[in-house]
Amino acid sequence: MRRAVGTEVVRWGALTAAVAVLVVFLLAQRQDIDVSYGQSPARATIAEGSAGELSDASVPSVEEMTALVAADPVVRLPGAVADWDDDRVAAVIGDADVRILVAPPGLDEAERDRVREVDNATVRIIGTQVSGGFYQAYSTDLDSWRGQFATGDVTGLLTVLIAALTDQPKPADEEGFAWRDPTPAELGVVVGDLRTAGRHVADGATLADAPRPGAADAFPDGTVRYVALPRQPFGEPVPNYGPALAEVFPGDPVVVQYGNWVEYHGPAADEFAEVAAASFYGQFSDRLSRYDYPQTNVLDAYLSRVTDVRYSGLFDRPLPYQPVDPLRVALPALPWLFAGCVVLFLVLSVRSVLRADNPAGQRRSVRGHSTVPARLAGLTALAVEMSAVPGGASDAPLTRGIGKLGAARAALDDDLPDRHVHTLLDDAEDELDGAARLLGFDGYRPDVYLRSRLG
Amino acid sequence: MGWSWLVWPVGAAVLVAAGYVTATLPRRRAHQHARRVSWSTARSAIDAATVSRDAAPRPVAEAEQLLTRAQTLAADRGGPAAARAATDYARRADELWRTAAGSQDRA
Repeated sequence: MRRAVGTEVVRWGALTAAVAVLVVFLLAQRQDIDVSYGQSPARATIAEGSAGELSDASVPSVEEMTALVAADPVVRLPGAVADWDDDRVAAVIGDADVRILVAPPGLDEAERDRVREVDNATVRIIGTQVSGGFYQAYSTDLDSWRGQFATGDVTGLLTVLIAALTDQPKPADEEGFAWRDPTPAELGVVVGDLRTAGRHVADGATLADAPRPGAADAFPDGTVRYVALPRQPFGEPVPNYGPALAEVFPGDPVVVQYGNWVEYHGPAADEFAEVAAASFYGQFSDRLSRYDYPQTNVLDAYLSRVTDVRYSGLFDRPLPYQPVDPLRVALPALPWLFAGCVVLFLVLSVRSVLRADNPAGQRRSVRGHSTVPARLAGLTALAVEMSAVPGGASDAPLTRGIGKLGAARAALDDDLPDRHVHTLLDDAEDELDGAARLLGFDGYRPDVYLRSRLG
Repeated sequence: MGWSWLVWPVGAAVLVAAGYVTATLPRRRAHQHARRVSWSTARSAIDAATVSRDAAPRPVAEAEQLLTRAQTLAADRGGPAAARAATDYARRADELWRTAAGSQDRA
């Protein structure tokens, strides 16, 4: 009995599990991919200037600038930062009449439009963005980005653009950028600041004092040390603080900013610094060249790019533990789980139906050993004996009793429950008892007769 | 992938079918059983009444009527309710004939 209850529990448990698995599977089918081009316009439009990229500098009216350009082949407006190697540019220009208008970075859209409307300027430089005619020149490697953003060097861009405008072959690249070791005095100042405050912000640099929130994700190990220097003067070797500071602070990430150029030195620099820088400047060099972002914003963008590179798992950099989604892991196993539950339920159901169907088992399950056949046999023998005695009045009850015995026998053959057969036998016994009393012979009363038979 | 999605609809259909069969089969069987039991009772009661009628000293019209009704019901082979009604008629007819026989004996 206990086993039967356990089987029932397992059976309904299997059904419940199967339904639960099915529901989980159906819920997991929901797909939430949200890619939309057709439903543009996009939500967030970032207003120009919201990231501090506009400067205070402005430009004169189009007429004034046109007059200036007519008077002079090279016009530098106030706040202009671009610079170039005069000899190399002059060599490309040759005898051609090339007029260059140099505007400051961080102009808003109206001001940039005014600069573009100066028709007599062959080449326009806004910040360090060089364009002219239908062309715009771009830097495409780390060396030229470094010159462009650390010192405002646009020599390479200018020569390429002018060569294109004057139908000359592309001039050879020349390295215009040079490092030098920092003097002990320079290094001492920076190291002192880094030891006390963790950062060195030189005069003219625009790095905010607050700690950068993205630093912990980008560089999980060691104390990050920031050095912010303003854009370096063009044409002079630039003090290379990075390697020297990495020696002073072994194990600590060192980020050195020269203007908008960001250098990383420290642990694992070989593994990701170039990739991060190429990715960062490949995406942002256009905006960085024509706008005047504060170094804080450039640093934040750089740190988030480093974080992206790190989390992409490209360089075996250790990542913080991310728990696996149990649903994703379990999904492939769900059909098997479901099929198993279905089979279990099916087997147990079939078993329960078969067991209820088994008459032999049912007969056995009646309490005590079955006495139906014995009782039937005994009463039948009694009826046969009594029918041999001529009785007159006892014939009717005897015949009814024999009829009941016949019905009991048919019910027994028909596999009807014992309880029913017993009822019929009780009736037969009553009739036989009545007949025996009418005969007046106690030996034929069923209980006496059966007892004597058993004895 | 391919066929593996079939596991879900086929499995669900098997579950529903197995549940339906296991729920209805015992019930239908019990119903059948009850019907057979009650008709067995009814038939034995009709037989007893028939014997009592043959043994009765005089015809009893009411008992004849009751027995005919019971036999009609049995011929129609209805459900357990009809069987119980037939049993009831047959028993009442049996009682009437026995009473008639008993009063005859005393007389």
